[in-house]
Amino acid sequence: MQINSMAPRWKWKGAEAKALAEPISKSVSELQLSLAKTESSGSLSSCNVLLAVEPEQAELLDRCCFGKLVLSAEKVKKWIQLSFEEAFYLLYILKCIKLSLRGRCLENEVDTWMYMRSKRPNFPAFFKTYSHLRSKNWVLRSGLQYGVDFVAYRHHPSLVHSEYSVLVQSGDSDRLRVWSDVHCAVRLSGSVAKTLLTLHVSGNSNREDLNLPTCLENYRVEEQTISRWSPELSREDETTSPTPKVTNVSNLKTP
Amino acid sequence: MNCITPIRLNPVGFRSVFINHYCLIRFNIKHKKPHEKAHPSSSLGSLSAAHQLFDELRQRVCKTEVLMEEENWEASSSSETEEPGFAADDDEEFHSGPKLQFRVGSSKARWVTELGMAEVEVKRGKLWTTTGIIRSGKTYCFIEEALYLSEIGELQILGNEDVVIPLKGLYEMVTEEKSGCCWESYEVYRYLKGLGYILGRHGVPWTSKGAAIMTPSGEGEDSVTKLLGDMQLCDAREVFDVYLPNSRFKKSSPGEPSFVACLSGDSPPSKEDVRVLQSRIAAPLRFCHIAQGRVSFFSFSSINLPILP
Repeated sequence: MQINSMAPRWKWKGAEAKALAEPISKSVSELQLSLAKTESSGSLSSCNVLLAVEPEQAELLDRCCFGKLVLSAEKVKKWIQLSFEEAFYLLYILKCIKLSLRGRCLENEVDTWMYMRSKRPNFPAFFKTYSHLRSKNWVLRSGLQYGVDFVAYRHHPSLVHSEYSVLVQSGDSDRLRVWSDVHCAVRLSGSVAKTLLTLHVSGNSNREDLNLPTCLENYRVEEQTISRWSPELSREDETTSPTPKVTNVSNLKTP
Repeated sequence: MNCITPIRLNPVGFRSVFINHYCLIRFNIKHKKPHEKAHPSSSLGSLSAAHQLFDELRQRVCKTEVLMEEENWEASSSSETEEPGFAADDDEEFHSGPKLQFRVGSSKARWVTELGMAEVEVKRGKLWTTTGIIRSGKTYCFIEEALYLSEIGELQILGNEDVVIPLKGLYEMVTEEKSGCCWESYEVYRYLKGLGYILGRHGVPWTSKGAAIMTPSGEGEDSVTKLLGDMQLCDAREVFDVYLPNSRFKKSSPGEPSFVACLSGDSPPSKEDVRVLQSRIAAPLRFCHIAQGRVSFFSFSSINLPILP
């Protein structure tokens, strides 16, 4: 098994120390406690969830990288936009928020799951991969700017650059099925100094099972990196193996 | 160009000075009337003019100096003296290979149809330390090796009645895929060889002391059947063992390859294909994509992101 070792790029001196002092898991636990205590509730829309929180909670959410603050003049309450994945993670995994749809509180997680699935058919695979990495305390944000599904950070984006651009692959998906897609995705990732990571979601995909969020337990996620190798850059007469090519990042070895 | 002291030019011979391992020729040309301005055609106005003159004369030039340069080039392309980033500027040059063909008394091999390989009869140069397999003291080479060496003017392949098989014939042998190498494989072979890498067909030992050569792609029925059986499991297949450029390479102990070059057809390998191949090959795998004469290499590697604090 090959480990793609691209060292984390911390944004400033002391960032790494700060990250070590405030691990993500700790911030997430704090967030979980805080939201549960105030029984925070979000409302579902067709594409996201709007969560009303206290200013301190908004800060906690930011620290863990959940959602995006909706700017408003209001000082007493803050509004956070959460993606379906983020909202469902808070609801189903951390169990610290409640959700309502069209004014009616959804008591059952299944209802939320069904609703989200109806709006986004690929939601199950996306959520599975999101929660897979989040449970390992990686920070995930939208990857739209980079033409991928997510970008994965080792800690808060203010401290470190993201290392991986993530693509979700489920059994019946047709992504990266032709070579030009591979070239494109790898080149894009490389040009922003990230490694392309594909997460393959597999498992017994019974159509009925998908109705329940418990189907998530039957799924397996396998991680795979795709990188391009440049023979011109790696011809040293050594026993070390050549480094993968990443454009814009110098990997020329000093003689 | 530094200034040149004019001396008489012998039409057959000339002085060549090697400034670095790229052959830079300096000419010393006599001006007919020293006090007159040199005529452009006979003066050393530019390097391109010098090269032009060199081309015209090379047929009549004594080969020894040029031969030396060729061997130095072969050896130096695999030595550590080059800067790692060096070749990036000379991309095109490396892709097209050496342009000038000096060899007349080059290596010779005879194509043996039953084996699907050529038996080497005359060896010239150090290239044979990294090309061809040895069986019972004889050296044999596969079609991709024979074709590559023929392309760069290092080898002549003899067919029936000692007639040299022209390049056209060799290309046909590749495109017809009757000698165990398809065109894509050949592109990979040629590209990496041109950069100084060492390649051997996967599953074929470099030497086999005492064993007579049996089949072109394996060492007997068992391995061929196994090879075919394995191939049916997935669309992707391993093609070449690739070693880093190494002037001390020994066929008797090649060591582990740096990676194994694989082909997966005209779509990227599925995760399952990668898993199947990696399960039977210890070395890292790189999948080659060939399009419009360009070869790209991709790794598809299983990883496990660590659990962070």
